Amino acid sequence: MKVFVQGIGAVTPLGPSALETWNQLCQGHRAPRKMMASRLGNRDYYWCPVPGKYVSEAARHPRLRRSGTVSLLGAAAGFDALADAGLKSLPGMKERMAIVFAICSGGVTYTRRLYHEIVTQGAQAASPVLFPETVYNAAASHLAALLGIDWQCYTLVGDSSVGLSALHFAAELLTVQPELDRCLVVGTEEADWLLADAFTSWRMATTKDFFEVYGTPSGTVFAEGAAAVLIGRTGSILLWGSSAGQSFFSRRDSAAVAVDLFGKFLTKMSPDLVVSSANGTFADEVERMVFARLLPAAPVYAPKPAVGEALGASALFQVVVAALCLRLRQIPGTLDAGPKLPTLNRQTRSHSGTDAMVTCVGFSQQINAVALKVCQGTAD
Amino acid sequence: MVCAKSRVLVTGLGVISPLGPDSVSNLESLLCARDTVTQVESFDVSRTRCKTAGQIPDQWMEDAFPQKRHSDRAHRSARMATMALREARESAKGPSLELLIVGTTSGGMSYGELYYRRLLAAQSRKGFARLVGNYMPQKPVSDALQANGLRIPMQIIANACSSGANAIGHGFELIRCGLYGCIACGGYDPICELVFVGFDSLQAATSEKIRPFDKQRSGMVLGEGASFLVLESEESAAARGATAVAEVVGYGTATDTFHLTQPHPSGIGPKLAMQRALQSAGVDPTEIDYVNAHGTATIFNDATEGCAISELLGDVQVSSTKSMMGHALGAAGAIEAAFCVLALREQFHPPNINFVEPDPGWRFKVVANASRRASFRFALSNSIGFGGANATLILKRI
Repeated sequence: MKVFVQGIGAVTPLGPSALETWNQLCQGHRAPRKMMASRLGNRDYYWCPVPGKYVSEAARHPRLRRSGTVSLLGAAAGFDALADAGLKSLPGMKERMAIVFAICSGGVTYTRRLYHEIVTQGAQAASPVLFPETVYNAAASHLAALLGIDWQCYTLVGDSSVGLSALHFAAELLTVQPELDRCLVVGTEEADWLLADAFTSWRMATTKDFFEVYGTPSGTVFAEGAAAVLIGRTGSILLWGSSAGQSFFSRRDSAAVAVDLFGKFLTKMSPDLVVSSANGTFADEVERMVFARLLPAAPVYAPKPAVGEALGASALFQVVVAALCLRLRQIPGTLDAGPKLPTLNRQTRSHSGTDAMVTCVGFSQQINAVALKVCQGTAD
Repeated sequence: MVCAKSRVLVTGLGVISPLGPDSVSNLESLLCARDTVTQVESFDVSRTRCKTAGQIPDQWMEDAFPQKRHSDRAHRSARMATMALREARESAKGPSLELLIVGTTSGGMSYGELYYRRLLAAQSRKGFARLVGNYMPQKPVSDALQANGLRIPMQIIANACSSGANAIGHGFELIRCGLYGCIACGGYDPICELVFVGFDSLQAATSEKIRPFDKQRSGMVLGEGASFLVLESEESAAARGATAVAEVVGYGTATDTFHLTQPHPSGIGPKLAMQRALQSAGVDPTEIDYVNAHGTATIFNDATEGCAISELLGDVQVSSTKSMMGHALGAAGAIEAAFCVLALREQFHPPNINFVEPDPGWRFKVVANASRRASFRFALSNSIGFGGANATLILKRI
């Protein structure tokens, strides 16, 4: 069965929509880094916040008045994808649409606040308002309520590759449920100093305001954001291939797992461009080794130096970028590019390719990829 | 595309819960109506209303990992998941698993709690990386795969307390449609302080015994555990001569958009999920003999679920096995599906303990306080979670 990308959406530190973000990427702009002070200890962190005005429309919905940022961002990106597809939340659409959310950290700010209350004031002080918003599927539930969807609504959790797993899961839903017309896949992430602290302890985040990709790994800079991809049974960009992903059990075997997984895609396609997950961590080296072996000529674009690492949103944002590369026949230039990957695209330029691959090496032992292809058609 | 409809057989089952470390001991506990809810010792409950939970003794899980280094590092939920997956694979006698689908709600949350407490106490950061690396919900699953010598893809569903049922339901649909031949599906969830206190803050947890569907019910208690079913197409099972213990025949979901934590009073969420599962199974409501209810014993849950069961299934036999072991959240749907498999195989209705006074508003019959021998073909299992996540599975005797 063929599944197509029908709409794309995003809310990022660079813009309130996928298209506005895209324009910023093509112009070589970098999201502003702001200082995020640790409330405990002496560490400070840089991050890329989404300006509050970008989610002001979503925040007006009564259902979202007490929700966490993760839900606001998810709703805004979801609406952007529906608008991109020319859809409004009309009655009749809801019966035939599913929602799949990709979540990494979830409502981390409310979770931290709730646990802080428990630890410092005692369990009796725990807020009943905070707890429900800490649940991983809160953001999906809110968007389902806003759209009036009463059927299929899933939340998948994982590392920074989870968006690609969610996209595959959504494609599976369309395959097994002939009654569904489309599925809205949303990845969303809110930033919190605790997250930055944890990932710094894990040697995945830097305390600087800058990171280089495909250079010397020094850790990433976190970002807020959300991305959404609406898939359905007709369209002009085919979701040519997707996967549930694969685990690696140590960094030592990560490249072998990536070669195996990406190689399965490449036996049947030859991508004209690659949108990679490079983020200034060990993932860059894994991707570099695989690209050198399997994709020695395809230009690679890495969006994270421009928008930051928004974990649960980042893989779907890569898909959004790949779809825009195919739709608008441009490939942005990678910012803060290190010397190790000769095929890294460093300047925004036009291209005539029709096939794109999105690769992701996640923080926590997950590797995944999807492939997109320009193609007019409908379902088999 | 119209999916081919392959039969989906349960060829393996593994479960660890407060009722026991494996399916044999869980079956024995179900048959003798064992109450395993005890005082919580692993964190401070002096300021919570509820002080009890169904808990798995750590000594049951000491040998979960073959390598001590792995065992020392991993979260205890990884041990649960590893043991349940191992038993499921062993009982299926060498299935060629292609995918693992897992439901959970909190993963290794207690490592996150420990991280924060150490940060607050300005302690040394030694060991922090281990806590972060093993905190995330996918890590215990990855550990379970590695300990079982498997390198297969995994999907982790976090649809609150429906997660485990969703994992089995999605696996069922993938196999029925012919996309896969053999999948392990289930769920895991450990108890942790944040979630325990969270439910207490909502006044959903009780200081008394958990009494599902009792007129005097006063709330839930938490539990923990893990369970996996090996689901297999009829063709795959036949090709390797596997013996089926039950069949999954139906799956339905519904999203109740009424409120993030409260179900719509009409019971439309569970009712829609059950109707869709019945339609998926091609089974008439009168054919359902036994319902393993979500039955958390909260005022709201039992009122809405009870109303939906009464309306749709009439005088069916109903029990909530949470009465014996508490609510295992993301694992609950998987554990309760496993209990349905055991009940169908052994032909008994699992008990709903601590039951004193029936609620006159409902037509169904509660399997009160003791298991009962029964002759039946179909069992239905409900799961209901925050976010309005409703899921129903229907299983059939082989």
